[in-house]
Amino acid sequence: VTYKWLSHTLGVHVNQAKQMLYDYVERKRRENSGAQLHVTYLVAGNLLQNGHVCHKIAVVREDKLEAMKSKLSTIASVHVYSIQKALLKDSSPLYNTDYDIVKTNLHNCSKFSAIHCDAAVRRIQPDIPRAQTSLQGSSQRESDTDALRTPTTNGHGPLAAKHPPQPQKGIMGMFAAKAASKPQDTNKETKAEAPSVSTASSKPPTKNNIIKNFFGKAAMNKLKVNPVPEQPKEEKEVVKPSVAVAEPESSPNPVVEKPGKRTESARIQQKDRKSKMKHVDRSDNEEETDPENAKKKRKRIKQLESDSSDEEDVPPSPTPEEEKALSPPPAADLKTELEPASMEVSAGGRKRKRKRVLKSKMFIDKEEGYMGKAG
Amino acid sequence: MFSEQAPPTAQGLLGPPSAEPPTFPRVPVLGYSDCSGPFQLAERSFARQYAHVYSVRLAGMRPVLERRARGLWGKDVLVRKLSELQTGEKCCVVGTLFKAMQLQPSILQEISDEHNLVPQPPLPKYIQPSDELILEDELQRIKLEGAIDVQRLVTGTILAVYGSEQDDGRFVVEDHCLADLPPPLPWNGPSSDRFVLLASGLGLGSGSGEALLGTQLLVDVVTGQLGAEGEQSCAATISRVILAGNLLSQNTQGRDTINKARYLTKKTQAASVEAVKMLDEILLQLCTSVPVDVMPGEFDPANYTLPQQPLHRCMLPLSSTYATLHLVTNPYQADLDGVRFLGTSGQNVSDISKYSSMDDYLEILEWTLLAGHISPTAPDTLGCYPFYKSDPFIITECPQVYFCGNAPHFQSKLLQGAEGQRVLLVTVPEFSTTQTACLINLRDLTCQPITFSSFGAEDED
Repeated sequence: VTYKWLSHTLGVHVNQAKQMLYDYVERKRRENSGAQLHVTYLVAGNLLQNGHVCHKIAVVREDKLEAMKSKLSTIASVHVYSIQKALLKDSSPLYNTDYDIVKTNLHNCSKFSAIHCDAAVRRIQPDIPRAQTSLQGSSQRESDTDALRTPTTNGHGPLAAKHPPQPQKGIMGMFAAKAASKPQDTNKETKAEAPSVSTASSKPPTKNNIIKNFFGKAAMNKLKVNPVPEQPKEEKEVVKPSVAVAEPESSPNPVVEKPGKRTESARIQQKDRKSKMKHVDRSDNEEETDPENAKKKRKRIKQLESDSSDEEDVPPSPTPEEEKALSPPPAADLKTELEPASMEVSAGGRKRKRKRVLKSKMFIDKEEGYMGKAG
Repeated sequence: MFSEQAPPTAQGLLGPPSAEPPTFPRVPVLGYSDCSGPFQLAERSFARQYAHVYSVRLAGMRPVLERRARGLWGKDVLVRKLSELQTGEKCCVVGTLFKAMQLQPSILQEISDEHNLVPQPPLPKYIQPSDELILEDELQRIKLEGAIDVQRLVTGTILAVYGSEQDDGRFVVEDHCLADLPPPLPWNGPSSDRFVLLASGLGLGSGSGEALLGTQLLVDVVTGQLGAEGEQSCAATISRVILAGNLLSQNTQGRDTINKARYLTKKTQAASVEAVKMLDEILLQLCTSVPVDVMPGEFDPANYTLPQQPLHRCMLPLSSTYATLHLVTNPYQADLDGVRFLGTSGQNVSDISKYSSMDDYLEILEWTLLAGHISPTAPDTLGCYPFYKSDPFIITECPQVYFCGNAPHFQSKLLQGAEGQRVLLVTVPEFSTTQTACLINLRDLTCQPITFSSFGAEDED
């Protein structure tokens, strides 16, 4: 039992917790009950060391307390650190207790402390997602294949934060709700994959509210895609939660062309990405993701059933290309966009838009040797 | 000193619970401005040659050196370029130093097929008695001899030498000078005690548990949970925490994914993932209570070349929501409460120590300040971005606190300059090994180390 644990558990100020511990020890000792309590103290003070007056803070066992106090030239504070029944061999249980209790109330860890800082306020929500999405945008331009995911944005770091891609603001609300408090595991998990450039399309996410709704339905967790290994082809995907929405494209044209995207397109793109990523996952036989993916798939389909232009569930296949080949005709248009080249924007929504997208993509398609349909 | 008012109430918490204990408000930030603009890279094009770095460095520092030379050796000392040298004439030349070292790892040797050499293992020091100094300016180079300490100087320093050229093309040096301290900044320091905590080398992810309790104690002290009331009120005067690099330990750098077969490493995460999560939690605890500046270091997930760009926000999702967290570049310069801070995570100093006979981190730190350049060995032996417009590592204004992180032990010194500059030099020790951090009092520019300890399995004295 450490003072911090007590303070969080009882909801009292840390100083009170320390005093409570001391009081308890005193009373128990006075009662002379059989139980032996071992107490550790915290001693702080000044000490002359190497010619400097060094401020030393130490956690000491009770038997060492006096020795430590005598070593210090001036004592700044002494208080009970913890009480336990057994004699501690080393301080790791103390650390573990504190670690656990802090972990459970991570955001309120300073509530019971003696110092309050007015400046420590949470940033307003828009700041976070904007940074996140812009960061994703910039990180997607990276084409390094380090195993360690380097967070450096190549040249777009400060710029990315500065030019708020307006369409990406839409992600704000969505992220505010979900991503802010979620440790972005995917970012870390996707170490193995190459955060690669997706040469294709970006979806200028203009559909802010819509995305919000979309995400409202699907839990954010679902959207966190599992690590996606590198694809043999250039089809690389950056796996990020906000993923689909903020991919800047290599060519600016499609971006310009898609100003008026609809919900569906966003959703479908999400779905596309997810299905693509899922297939990629499957192709690499990552079993643990499968059930989750399957669930994801099912959930998405249910939600998007209403959508006419929804693509159907594509059966898993070893390579994304095959998967595309298998895609049913109605989704074919969309699928054609999911060319090997990239996370393409699923045209989704209006066919007109789809055609436009495809046309602009024709170059890429042709390069890949796959003649895409003109929608 | 820190916690001077503490002793009277030292034993205050050894008693029954009292009425509502006081909470102390953290001292507000008087003034903060981040001056590390030059260290932030906007566009990054590596298509340029590195020679431009040297030429802008020379161009930037030449006027300073000429002024200094005139001051030292007389107003009418001849300042010549190498191409204008005449044999036997005493003159002063300003140029970049190049030290030809035999042991210096050279990429050309490594990839040379003829030699079939195994790449040289990293040595602690690469100096040898046979090293030579060569002075280069914009057009020519000349070998230096004479009253100049070959072992001490490193490549990339801009200096002025006074001497004459001999017949055989060598330049015999009689005296040399560095740029010396840059002009001082006006003093706007606070009038009451305010502290800044400097720590570096937290070394998370190393797998050793002892250092973690120390880190936790550090966080507790700063957030005011530890200590009696007096100590807590003193902790409230800590206005800022600067973490100077190496937040992750070297163990997280393992590149198994490159060496091992893919099927072995597919499902494993890199060690730095866990470490960064731990870092995030620690930073969250700190951020709720005090403004924190986080600088990347040698083993942190940031770019390798100097200037290292700030860590990425999305790596620290929990703590980056707080406005008190500032992710800053590696050479970091800022005005904290009116005091100018300048510091690095230690890569520059350790690199110089490898190529020079200087061993003492504080001595090297002082030397870099006198040389007017944060890291002269970049880009020769230290990775650096190919600047071509201006060299941001030139120290143009004298900082009031100059620190370097990840030093082997704590040292500090107050340097007084000729023009009234007062610089506090601090070498911040590695926390993971020494459990020591530094507290700098901004009012009077003093520094005090603060150590943490816990009891281990064996009895400590």
